[in-house]
Parts: sequence; C-alpha cells; structure tokens
Amino acid sequence: MDIAISTTGRHLLKALFAVLCLLLYAPLALIVVFSFNDADIPTELPEFPFKGLTLNAYREFIANPELTAALVTSAKVAAAASAAAVVLGLLASMALVRRRFFGKALASAFLLSPLVIPYVVFGIALLILFHEISFPLSMWTIVIGHTVIALPFTILILSPRLARIDVRLEEAAHDLGASGFRTFRSITLPLMTPAVVSAFLVAYVVSFDEVVIAQFVAGNTVTFPIYLFSQLRFPTNFPQVLAVAVVVMAASLLVVLAAEIGRRIVERRLHIELEGRADEAPPPTSAEPAAPQAERV
Amino acid sequence: MAVDARPVARSAPFLRGRRRSTATTAGLIGTPIVWLVVFFLVPVGIAALYSVGVFSFFPGEQRFTLTYWKDFVDGSVYLDVFWRSVKISLLTSVIAVLLAYPLAYYLALVAGSRKYVLLLILISPFFVSYFLRLFAMKVLLGDQGVVNSFAYWTGIRDPEHPIPQLIYSQFAVVTTLIVIYVPFVALPIFAALENLDRRLLEAASDLGASRWQAFRKVTLPLSLPGVLAAFVFVFIPTLGEYFTPLLVGGTSGHMFGNSIADAFLSSQDWQTGSMLSVFLLATVAILMAVFARFLSMQRLETE
Repeated sequence: MDIAISTTGRHLLKALFAVLCLLLYAPLALIVVFSFNDADIPTELPEFPFKGLTLNAYREFIANPELTAALVTSAKVAAAASAAAVVLGLLASMALVRRRFFGKALASAFLLSPLVIPYVVFGIALLILFHEISFPLSMWTIVIGHTVIALPFTILILSPRLARIDVRLEEAAHDLGASGFRTFRSITLPLMTPAVVSAFLVAYVVSFDEVVIAQFVAGNTVTFPIYLFSQLRFPTNFPQVLAVAVVVMAASLLVVLAAEIGRRIVERRLHIELEGRADEAPPPTSAEPAAPQAERV
Repeated sequence: MAVDARPVARSAPFLRGRRRSTATTAGLIGTPIVWLVVFFLVPVGIAALYSVGVFSFFPGEQRFTLTYWKDFVDGSVYLDVFWRSVKISLLTSVIAVLLAYPLAYYLALVAGSRKYVLLLILISPFFVSYFLRLFAMKVLLGDQGVVNSFAYWTGIRDPEHPIPQLIYSQFAVVTTLIVIYVPFVALPIFAALENLDRRLLEAASDLGASRWQAFRKVTLPLSLPGVLAAFVFVFIPTLGEYFTPLLVGGTSGHMFGNSIADAFLSSQDWQTGSMLSVFLLATVAILMAVFARFLSMQRLETE
C-alpha cells in the first residue's frame, strides 16, 4: 500500500490538478483565441460568438507607431535596468559569498528587502525623491527604480552559483600571480556566465513587466505596460492590444524556457569539465532536467 | 640569511593581499548598498518626513505635526479601507494556499517521475506578464466579457442585466488575485513536501497509522514551514495591490494601495499619501519580522 495516497485519492488529486491547470490557462487561451477574432467594429471587449478568424489585429499592431515605440522604450528600459542590476548583483554576491565582514546578515537582509516592499509605496517614494532634488522624470528614472527591484532577483540567482564554484580555482589563479580583477575576469566570470545570463533575463522580464513604479516616475515616457493600461481605459485599439499581448506572452515564455534549458545544459557541461565527475553526471538526454540539481543540493 | 629572507618575502604579498582585500570588500558590498540607500532608503525617509509635515508639496507650510497620523488613527475612511485590504488579502492567501496544497502534494508525493514537467506546466503562467493575466481576467469577467457574453448568447441573462458582482466587486478582486498567485504559492509547499523523508511515512505506516493519521501527524506538520512561506508570499504583495483592484475592483473592491495612489494622483495630498505609504510599509516590515521569527523557530523545532 502507498502510505502517501489511496487509489481514489490519486485519481481525485489528478483530476483537481487538471481542472486547476485548465482554469489557470483558460484566461491566457482566451486572449490568444480572441486576438484572431474578426470583429466588424472594434468593441470594448471580445464578442461572443466568433465571427471568423483574421490576422487583421496583428497587421494593425505592426503598423501602429505608438505601440511599437512603447515596445522599444520598454526594451531599452529593461536592458539598462537589468544590466545595472546584474553588475550590482555580482558585486553584492562576491562580497556575500566570498568575503567576511561585519554586519553581513544585516547587509544581506537589506539587499533583499526590495522583494517585499509594496510597489505603490516605492513608486511614490521615488517620485517624492525626484521631486525634492528636482530631477527630471524620464526613461532613466524608471531605470533607477527597476534596478532597485531587480537587484534581489539577481542576487538570489548569482549567489548560489558563486557558492558552488570551487574557491581553490580562484586561489590557484591568485597564487600564479593573477590580480584580483584578472582572477575575476579569467576564472570567476566565465564560470558564472550561465548564472549571469539567467539573472539578466529574469531581471529583464521583471523590468519589462513592471508598471506600478513606472507609472509614477515615467513622466511622459510611455513603456509597453503603460501603453497597454491606457488602451484598457480607452479601448479604441482593443484587438491590436490582444494581438500584441499574445506576441509578448509567447516571447517571454520562450525567453524564460530557453534561459532555463540553456543554463542547465551549460552548467552540466561545466560540472563535467571542472569536477571530473562525468561518471556521476546524468546523461544529457535525461528526461528530468531538474533531477540532477536536486540531488546535488 | 637566505633561509630567513623567504618567510619575509612570502609574508609581504600576503599582507598586501589582506589590506587590498578589506578595501575591495568595502567596494564590493558598498556599491549596491549605496545604490539602495540613495534610491530606496532615502526616498522612504523623505516620505516619512512628508508624513509628519516637515516637507510639503506646497511651499511655506513646513512644520512638524502629527495631524495626519492622528486623523488616520481616529477612524478615518482610510482605516476602513486598510481593514478591507487586510480582509481581501487574508481571504486570497488562505484560499490560494488551500488550493495549492493538494497540487503540491500531488506533484511531490504522487506524480512520480513526471513531477518536474508537471511543475513547469503549473508555474509557467507565472512567467507571463502579471498585467496580461490581469487583462485576461477582465476579458473573462467583464460586462461584455466571455462569461457574460455566453450567458447572453444562451439566453440565461439578457444584455441589459449582466451577472451581478462578477466584475467590479471584491469577488472579482479575490478571484483574480487567486488565479494570478496560485502557481507561485505551490512552489514553497512543493519544496517542503519534496524534502520530506518518505521513510517517516513508511515508519508511521509500519506502526499502524492510517493514511489520514500519517498525513496529520507527519506530512502536515513537516510541511508547515512551506505553507507559512507560501502564505507570506501571497499576503504581503496582495496587501499593497494596486492594479488588480483598479481594473476589476470598482468602488467596493478599492484597496489601500489605491487610496495611496489617489492621494498623490488625484487629490495632490502628498502628506496624507506619504503617511499612508509609511503606515503600509511599517505594517509589512512588522509582518515580515514576525513571520521570519516564526519560520526560524519552526526550523529549530524540526531540526
């Protein structure tokens, strides 16, 4: 007998899992389906039943300069913010993992604290700061805010990876006469590359998606979520917004999946090369990508 | 002589290394700390000064006062909104945890070798933009949305009378937040159950425990830290929720985050807005401290 579950219970749980997954995916499926809906007059919300399938919404969205400009702005903001967050996260991780200093626990808690701050509060506090020092609101004020909230994510991804790199490799480089920076550039950074890439991508997604803080400190800048929001309130271009929502949804899923798979492949290869544990490492065709990691922990 | 020189020659770079190390440590940890102090701590500090009247949006009325705090505590409308937010967040997090627990249990203890694939399927919606999922819920619940359109089409309701409370209500806010957070909530519970030593369950079984007893006496207590972490992961962010109530909440689903934003955006009352912000921040900080304390106590007990 399986002590964890009875046969009936197993079926019940399976059914519950299937139903809840269906409910979670239903809203997303709706957006995809209705982006192809052929409505005569663009209405505020999708009409039911369907009138037909069309790619009109997609054509219109590519031809809409405001929408594409908003996408480009968001891409720039996210690139700048995640680059800054990764650099700061690398510095913080190297201090937290490799060095000893007074007040480390406090520093670590402080660096992770943006994870729990309500974004409304942070957005407003930033707005007040920029107002007090008469700093003009622009794309860069959004970048500053997003760097703060993306930083904890980069630290949470980079630190565990750094902790798994054998410190003796760095010591060996140092003994062979490499300077601190040279050691970092030739040893630590190459080994960290997979984690740096996934930290960058996660920070990118966090920033690209963020709208509450952006809304307060954007000034006249229109990022993609801000544009989406304006279209929700005054829905003249609703079908286009659905279409672009589908494109962004697909792109972000692809990016996250690609990053995760890429990171696993590269890390596995690094482990085989560095630790000479090729015999212990699972075959690359393993059906469970997460299993080897869980075993190592 | 040559023998004596060697330790000296070796210790010199060693000492230099130590000194440089202290300086670089300060640089490494200092840079991100300074960034957060300037763009995170200082702004919150200025907001706190606004809330006691030391700074103000309009020039010429700066002096220390506790009026804003006193008005708030003396039963202002904001206090009611705050308790409503607590209620909505509490309801959301409890339901989300209750829904996520069986999912995580299924994945960790029942699903077997497919569990990581199924976990990926479960949490994937979380990688899709929060805003797009919110938007999808509006499409689902709106007056001309899918549920209502279906009701009109089948003739259950006529288009003049959409289903009441489906959107622009507390129901809509709670439902939307649950759909958004359930995948995320399942993760910490899954992690806790996955680390559970199955031999404990076998031991319970060998000693004559039924499945239900084994669950109640072994599995549930050992997964409680995960459950609590899951609860915190929903409760804290939903307490300051802004866009969900704005888009699907209407007036009855108005939450504390909306009050804060309105104070700044509509009424230009920066003092009151700052006071509400600082209050929310203090609430979150206290909750985090309590939960962290509780979690570490739990860990000590289980070890």
